[in-house]
Amino acid sequence: MTAMLDHTPKMTHAEVTRDVVATLQTPSRGYYMALFGAIGLFLVGLGTFVMLLKEGLGLAGYNPPIFWSVYITTFVFWVGIGHAGTLISAILFLFRSPWRTAVYRSTEAMTVFAVMTAGLFPIIHIGRQWIFYWLLPYPNQRWLWPNFKSPLIWDVFAISTYLTVSTTFLIVGLVPDIAAVRDKMSGWRKKLYGALSIGWTGADSQWRHYTRGYMYLAALATPLVLSVHSVVSWDFAMSVIPGWHGTIFAPYFVAGAIYSGIGMVMTLVIPLRKVLKIEHLITEYHFDNLSKLTLLTGSILFYAYAMEYFVAWYSGNTFEQTTFWMRAFGPMWWGGWTMIICNGFVSQLLWFKKIRTNLTALFVISIFINIGMWFERFVIINSLGNDFLPYAWGRMNPTWADWGILAGSFGWFGMYFLLFARTFPVVAIQELKEIIPMPRRKGGAH
Amino acid sequence: MRKLLVAGVAAVMAVGAIALTMPSLTTAQNQAKKAEPDSVVAPRLTAADSSNLKGPKQPIFFRHDIHAGQYKIQCQYCHYTVAASSEPGVPSLQTCMGCHLAIGGADSTHRVEIKKLRDAWKEKRPVEWVRIHTLAKHAHFPHMRHIKSLGPNACATCHGDVARMPQVFKVNNVNNMGFCISCHVERKVNRDCTACHY
Amino acid sequence: MPDEMKHEPLDRRRFLKVVGVAGAGTAALTGCSTDKVEKLIPYLVQSADQVPGIPTIYASTCTECAAGCGLHVRTREARAIKLEGNPQHPVNAGTLCARGQASLQGLYNPDRLTGPMGRNGVGKMSEVLWNEAIDQLAAAVKQAGSKVAVVTGTPAGTMSDLIDQWTAAVGGRVIRYQAFDHGPVQLAAKKVFGVDELPHHDFGAAKYIVSFGADFLETWHGPIENQRGFAAAHGFDGKGMAKFVYVGTRMSLTGMNADQWVSAASGSETSLALGLANAVLASRSDAPADAAQLKGMLAAYTVEKVAQDTGLSADVVRTLCAEFAKAAPSLAVAGGIGAQHRGAAELCAAVNVLNYVAGNVGKTVHFGFGMGSGSGYGAMLELERAMNAGEIDAVIFHDTNPLYTLPKSGGFRAALAKVRFRATTSMFWDETAAACDLVLPSLHSLERWDDSRPRAGVHGLVQPVMEPVFKNMAAGDVLLQVARKIGGAAGAAFTAPTYEAHLKGIWAGVAKARGAADFDTFWRGALANGGLYDAAPAPATIKLAAGAGDIKSEKPAFDGEGLLFAPYPSSMYHDGRGANRPWLLENPDPVTRITWQSWIEINPETAREMDIREGEILRLNSPAGSIEASVYVYPGIARDVLAMPLGLGHTEYGRYAQGRGVNALDLLSAKDGQGFLPYLSTRVKAEKTGRFRKVAKTEGNPRELGRGITEAIPLAAAVKGLTIQQAYQAAGKGEHEVNPEREAEAIKGFREGQLEERRYGAYALDNPQWGMVIDLARCTGCSACVTACSAENNIPWVGEEDIFRGRELSWMRIERYFEGGEDGEPIKARVIPMLCQQCDAAPCEPVCPVYAAYHTADGLNGQVYNRCVGTRYCANNCPYKVRYYNWYAYAKRAFVEPLNLQLNPDVTVRARGVMEKCTFCIQRIRGAQNTARLEDRAVADGDVVTACAQACASGAITFGNVKDPASRVVQAAKNPRGYHVLEELNTRPAVTYLARVEYGSEA
Repeated sequence: MTAMLDHTPKMTHAEVTRDVVATLQTPSRGYYMALFGAIGLFLVGLGTFVMLLKEGLGLAGYNPPIFWSVYITTFVFWVGIGHAGTLISAILFLFRSPWRTAVYRSTEAMTVFAVMTAGLFPIIHIGRQWIFYWLLPYPNQRWLWPNFKSPLIWDVFAISTYLTVSTTFLIVGLVPDIAAVRDKMSGWRKKLYGALSIGWTGADSQWRHYTRGYMYLAALATPLVLSVHSVVSWDFAMSVIPGWHGTIFAPYFVAGAIYSGIGMVMTLVIPLRKVLKIEHLITEYHFDNLSKLTLLTGSILFYAYAMEYFVAWYSGNTFEQTTFWMRAFGPMWWGGWTMIICNGFVSQLLWFKKIRTNLTALFVISIFINIGMWFERFVIINSLGNDFLPYAWGRMNPTWADWGILAGSFGWFGMYFLLFARTFPVVAIQELKEIIPMPRRKGGAH
Repeated sequence: MRKLLVAGVAAVMAVGAIALTMPSLTTAQNQAKKAEPDSVVAPRLTAADSSNLKGPKQPIFFRHDIHAGQYKIQCQYCHYTVAASSEPGVPSLQTCMGCHLAIGGADSTHRVEIKKLRDAWKEKRPVEWVRIHTLAKHAHFPHMRHIKSLGPNACATCHGDVARMPQVFKVNNVNNMGFCISCHVERKVNRDCTACHY
Repeated sequence: MPDEMKHEPLDRRRFLKVVGVAGAGTAALTGCSTDKVEKLIPYLVQSADQVPGIPTIYASTCTECAAGCGLHVRTREARAIKLEGNPQHPVNAGTLCARGQASLQGLYNPDRLTGPMGRNGVGKMSEVLWNEAIDQLAAAVKQAGSKVAVVTGTPAGTMSDLIDQWTAAVGGRVIRYQAFDHGPVQLAAKKVFGVDELPHHDFGAAKYIVSFGADFLETWHGPIENQRGFAAAHGFDGKGMAKFVYVGTRMSLTGMNADQWVSAASGSETSLALGLANAVLASRSDAPADAAQLKGMLAAYTVEKVAQDTGLSADVVRTLCAEFAKAAPSLAVAGGIGAQHRGAAELCAAVNVLNYVAGNVGKTVHFGFGMGSGSGYGAMLELERAMNAGEIDAVIFHDTNPLYTLPKSGGFRAALAKVRFRATTSMFWDETAAACDLVLPSLHSLERWDDSRPRAGVHGLVQPVMEPVFKNMAAGDVLLQVARKIGGAAGAAFTAPTYEAHLKGIWAGVAKARGAADFDTFWRGALANGGLYDAAPAPATIKLAAGAGDIKSEKPAFDGEGLLFAPYPSSMYHDGRGANRPWLLENPDPVTRITWQSWIEINPETAREMDIREGEILRLNSPAGSIEASVYVYPGIARDVLAMPLGLGHTEYGRYAQGRGVNALDLLSAKDGQGFLPYLSTRVKAEKTGRFRKVAKTEGNPRELGRGITEAIPLAAAVKGLTIQQAYQAAGKGEHEVNPEREAEAIKGFREGQLEERRYGAYALDNPQWGMVIDLARCTGCSACVTACSAENNIPWVGEEDIFRGRELSWMRIERYFEGGEDGEPIKARVIPMLCQQCDAAPCEPVCPVYAAYHTADGLNGQVYNRCVGTRYCANNCPYKVRYYNWYAYAKRAFVEPLNLQLNPDVTVRARGVMEKCTFCIQRIRGAQNTARLEDRAVADGDVVTACAQACASGAITFGNVKDPASRVVQAAKNPRGYHVLEELNTRPAVTYLARVEYGSEA
């Protein structure tokens, strides 16, 4: 217990509540600038999408044989981001590692919004967006069903399931805290939070059910962490394309997802704790742990990269070999190396505690991680460029339409995240209290 | 409680009885229908009435119920390629004039319309009929195959009983894929997508 | 969102304006298209030969070049939708080249003139009425009296005769001019044999073929007929094949198909030809008696001298001599642009001698076919002089565009400006029209009556297959009306009211001459067959003329200094007339795979020396002028040569051609009075501009990296009937193992699994299984199939910008791979037509989330356009990359009116956001099945012919039901040379390729 105590915030329950609720008071100018920035980006993306609807996907940088491009890259990127949340909140919850408490709320929020963002991309990238619903199984007069053999259909289910569960998880976790906020509020806010806290009184019986339910939800969410990105990886691994057709893909993608997820957590939380003045709630200690997790997944990723090249060479398969040669030394070499450096090498810096506890360094590294992981997907998709028939080879060449949608996705995500941080406690009040020792009662025993 | 039970039983019996009598009734009606055609006399209507009738108003108030119903002219007399081609064929004015050079119409209402036809013929100006059944371009419907397997009088299967329509209207939405499929399933015939879509 | 696919982009009202609704030959529009106004417009009068929904086929004759191929025009609802060859026609025997098929885009070209244009008060050109135009022309001609000149490119036929008679009647002169005329050949024939006509070549009979720069597979004489003959001689028949050697500075499409490309220095070919003749005479006794008189002249051309002249190694020359002398009958051809330098006439003479001594004349080279190329370039120079001298007051151009096809350096344009009155009958606003005072747009040959006599024994008919797209007047009628207006002798000379009547009159004479009882029967018979075809005339007996003895082989003169500039006729644009046809613009050049552009070909070595990369813009300067274009580095060209395709760089000629590319003729100096234009007469200085412009090629990588995509086996092995595998082992190349044992096992298991599945559902039924065999030993890469596919399947063109992004849509693509060409190895090119392989185990099918891509019961990879949502996973997962995607609404963009009238109503026009691909012309399959069903029979072998197979002049493509053991496709597939591309992926393609057969060291 001592080990736990030395990182718990030195403060009383009352103070915790006060400080967290404080984050919901009138925000700073910085916050507004960030928010409007995000909304601006979102509008850029929206405009681009309208153009796509009007003109067609030709506006984007698709160069056959590369029929997927920046959109699918970004889709996988966001799905990946969406993994840290559930990992931290569910798995670490089950493993009873209390350091999660300070950060899990914000990561869960991030998860939900990331998946919301990712969910848009399958619609954006298809050619006839207005009939995207044909991908869903529903009874229709045509007597037609989607093709359940297609990895894309698995995607539809994986993503929607993940979104549902992680959203539920977030909301359930929020209930007691909303109640706490409610009690501190007045006027219409009180009413609002009152409604959202769905009649939470903190009664014993409620807590009893709550904790059990929360644990079951965690148990339910845990396998999804592994399954969802495995399914996403099969979008590629199930094909015949050299550079895609690999059995290593599922674990490789899951590791990558968590890696990128935590990267994003750092990118978000390091500034957030400053803006919301909760440095004493989310401390170096938490980032140290996050970093260790990053180091682990990063190393797995590094291994996977090495293994891809090894298998390509060892298989003796000329197609695989050409693809990976091209990845390293072809026209898109810069992509390949960006991914290896940002993910492979940079993550190794985290062996040093100095770096793990230096937030500035961590922030920089987390940015590298985000870039690196985006490029990982970009590079994988570029394998399409040189597949079986040399005559048909081509090279990806993104346009404003690609960047527009990419920017839009960040705006869309940031918008939600910032609004959330304003509206709901980004630090789990109740759980934080749990790990703070009960205050001594004054007066003698009865 | 008992009351309810009794009522329930009664209801069930009633329904059963109806269900039993139903078939006999319908067959009776059918026989009536079968007997009918010989005694079809198309109602007397003027172009003015056409706007109250179902279906789009045509440049000439052409009466399928008179031609196909009363005088029992075979569909294929005018829709001459339906058994040979994917397109049923719209009769040329020449075909119309073949009869209407001689036939000027029984009464005034007919004469008015037939005059429109004769004028068009004089002015070498085709009549622009309003199209009723339009199949989307991405579906191919070989009429001849269906006539071949369903017989020369199968038109009604999709187009409804045109012989009784003073003004033709859409009975079935032929652009509704379910309409095609259900029939193909029922008859256990080809359901391959590329049978129609290519 | 609007779904373009629901509506064909064809506006019925416009359509009516075009084809009209009255009179025979127009059709009802019963449901043939769905338009917004939803009207049904019936016939007034039902024409007997039109059944809505069923194509009517008219026989006619192609007028795109002088070859005069027979056509079968497929019309639907009275609009021509596809051109195919007339199987009865002796010239093309049922096939048609890309240019011929693209004739439709001349017919429906949006830039066709809608009426006559004349100079108004202020001297600007504006539309005038037809009667005004006729009056103007008549007045001008009358005034000019005997000072009229008619420049015509019309090949032999009634029209050509009429022009003669007409000009004779009104007084004046006729100049026959067409670019790429065969001046040198004709001069040589006169010189060596004393006959004033062109030889006819029988490639099929030859055992050994040498071409001295004659591109007989592109534009030289009748490419289709040549190609058919070439395939017969050079296509491996199980026993052997002819050897083909191409001599020239650049490996053209013809050169690509050669077993050996001999890059003799330009101008030295004559020496080589005479050297061969010498060898033949020395080693063979069967030479004609009078050949002896040549001994003296030929004796000088020893192997050493030839080697020295040509810059080839003595061994090469020696082997050539030996091989050529051994083979009989052989065939040597010359006179193409590939060797049209100032010594071309001498070269052709030398080749005549060669053929003569080798005894080919009468066997593979025939005279007496009455083929003449007309007066040609020499006459144009004479006309230029006359115009300058004021001897011409009125010029009328017909079927020719000299202001484009003559080098600017010549004085023709200036001379023409001196003429008081200039008129043309061009359908388009071309360069010549722009320089005229009166334009009387003629009708397209699919809209009018005419005939053609490409050679003795072939009398083809041209008949109108539809109402004119634009209500213009056939040039024949113009001449007749003008004659009548002029009156007097001219008027009296022509009694026929119309050209149609005139033509029938001529044919009535023919009928009488042939003792036909009743003209109408005769006429209808001729129309049905597309003309009259008599047996080939008996070859004239040919003796050497006096001049045969003195043939000089000295190097011809070249203007300027620097690298030799070699403009060559593009197999798509011909002399430039094809440049306004999108089908041709987007059909990649068979050699370079470049579309929509002009380019400069340069040898890799030279490029390295000059430090030039592909796409870099070079400026070429010659004494005559200078032009700029992007560089294409091409290993198939001599080091001291820069080559460039002709046909682009129009200053007029409509939206597709105008301002596209540059005109290579601008560099030529036309200063010499020979009977032909020496295309190879200029040296140019290449100057780097430092600017870049991407080359719009559809090719990613020109090397196949040993992936066994285009297999080839040595002739010796092929004769033994070895498989590719065995051939590799025989050649000691070790295992060429497609699948190692374990894989093979797995595949076997997989196969069984598949057969198991075949026993369920629709697959269990007795369905056909469609398959195709493509013989790479016959395929020349001419790309006629590509245009055929586009025409049949409503494939839109995407334009240069999207080609840059590799977004071409053409379902059939010719992949061209280079072999060798590095460190001393001879460069070789291999071509393979790549289309959807209709895999049994198709990677595209399982990944489609909505079953838009799925396997049909008859073994096709069905693609349901209206079901496709456009995830494009199928295209990613297709190893053959034969799925094409509508990134934009390409169809809407491309098929502007009236081009949309060409669309095939049996094929869905694909909307934006939809994947499309080849399905073995499924509309033809379903059509044949419908017909068979109506006739209560099964579909017979040959009932279904895909568009590509139909168009192939080499007969390289066989299509049919592989479940029918008797079918031709099954027989063809049994060939030991058979293989599947990327077999190791176990996609089980339905397309079997037969390996190309190559002469190895043993030959």
